[in-house]
Amino acid sequence: MNNIGFMTFVLRELKRFLSLYNQTLIPGLLSTVLYIVVFGKSLGSRIGEIKGTSYMDYIIPGLAMMNVITNAYSNSASSLFQAKMMNFLDDILITPLSGLEVSLGYIMGGALRGFINGVLVLIIGLLLTDMTLAHPVLILVFLAVVGWAFGGAGLLVGIIAKSFENIQVLVNFFLTPLVFLGGVFYSIDMLPPIWRSISLFNPLYYMINGLRYAVLGVSDSSPWWSLFVSVCAAILFTLISATLFTRGFRIKN
Amino acid sequence: MVPAVEIHDLHKQYAGGVVALKGINLTVPVGEFFGLLGPNGAGKTTTIGITTGLVRPSGGFVKVLGYDVVSQYRQSRRRIGLAAQELNFDWFFPIEELMILQAGYYGVPRKVARQRTAHLLELFGLSGKRRVKPRELSGGMKRRFQIARSLVHDPEILILDEPTAGVDVELRRMLWSYLTQLNQEGKTIILTTHYIEEAEKLCDRVAIIDHGRIITEGSPQKLMAGQNGDGLTITIDSWTEQTARALEGYDFNFTDGHIRILIPQPELRLTEIINQLTSAGALVQDVAISHSTLEDVFMELTGHGIDE
Repeated sequence: MNNIGFMTFVLRELKRFLSLYNQTLIPGLLSTVLYIVVFGKSLGSRIGEIKGTSYMDYIIPGLAMMNVITNAYSNSASSLFQAKMMNFLDDILITPLSGLEVSLGYIMGGALRGFINGVLVLIIGLLLTDMTLAHPVLILVFLAVVGWAFGGAGLLVGIIAKSFENIQVLVNFFLTPLVFLGGVFYSIDMLPPIWRSISLFNPLYYMINGLRYAVLGVSDSSPWWSLFVSVCAAILFTLISATLFTRGFRIKN
Repeated sequence: MVPAVEIHDLHKQYAGGVVALKGINLTVPVGEFFGLLGPNGAGKTTTIGITTGLVRPSGGFVKVLGYDVVSQYRQSRRRIGLAAQELNFDWFFPIEELMILQAGYYGVPRKVARQRTAHLLELFGLSGKRRVKPRELSGGMKRRFQIARSLVHDPEILILDEPTAGVDVELRRMLWSYLTQLNQEGKTIILTTHYIEEAEKLCDRVAIIDHGRIITEGSPQKLMAGQNGDGLTITIDSWTEQTARALEGYDFNFTDGHIRILIPQPELRLTEIINQLTSAGALVQDVAISHSTLEDVFMELTGHGIDE
């Protein structure tokens, strides 16, 4: 294990997205405030309570998870893809860092950006509403595990992608629909039975409801089952992406 | 003593089917200034790529100071600094930070990395630009930065892929003198070039590579000595029996008033030959000394010029 090398690489990933805060931190916060104002403060008052919480409180964990997922994914996908396209990935590949270390570095970069975004959304929630946090430790666990999972998913896409469009297409046609259908803005109990059953196959539904439980103490799915799904996703994406990267798939000739 | 780089029966076939290397053998001893000379597409960059871990070999092996570049890559890569042909850099950071990060990837603690970076930026005349991002540097500065950065983890071996391609004369001289100095300080230097003068001037030994094979290797002097380019061209007023007799024993021919004598190290025999011709009654009007170049060696061995 090349400890200094690995920590330096994680630091590089962290500094990269912090220096791009206009693209990596601010947009998520801005859209969260808009969602809270539009959906929570105006429309929400006509929806009433869900599972004993106000509609506005109900959507905040969903918004946090939405930010965790999209930010973690985008970070590792774009960071690797840029390095590949601008041909500076070689500067990493010639160093004594192993393929696994570089993969984990990219994933951690994504996980960190996702985690920070999730925390910031919850802080906004605490400031703008009278929400309280039910299980603080579990909140951090969910933010970290789901961030890790989508850091891994982003790395996988960054490895496979042949154009920047590939990365964005997956967000528009896959990630965003799954996030919205995962119950960010509603409880699946409000859906017709058939859509309710389909939602149960959406892994993001468990992640969103896992965080909802940790924040509000109520959710559609069991928190432990949610945690299980999240951990499985993290392991799966890590294994696939790190294996491909280490084997040099679309990375080395 | 373990060689700096040992390349044994190295083969590479790319996924698309292109065969880049067809069994290369090379040994570069520690402390040598070694040149890999060949036209574009000959296999130089592939050889460098395998040695540094950017390309996977299809067969054979490369060892760096005894460490296999595939199975013991951590040890081998730590000992190599690479200045690649292309000037692409991580575009998010200023050059000082980039160098400190690069050193970190190699396991150099940040404090040490900081000191070395300051020293190297100073040495390469880039201190004033340390807070500037690479894309704001001129081409020459980028090249200097790239070489400076390749030294930040203090590698024993420095590999430069076409270091002076597209560089102006002044910078080329500066780089040459700096590389010579590094070599004198004990670093093994391997450079690829298709610029013949560079190989002749700098390298203790060169290997000529073409179509994925090493065609010949040796010191530039030795390789050039085997060529017909060394000799004298002497212009005389008239050709007589006596002049022909005076040149007995030399490999020569006479056309249009010019005698062409093929002889290694012609400058050492110049006076003697002129004396002989003069004694034979010839009036020497002009003398020209010629030397073979690595270009001649290359032409002779490959049947084509290096830039073709």
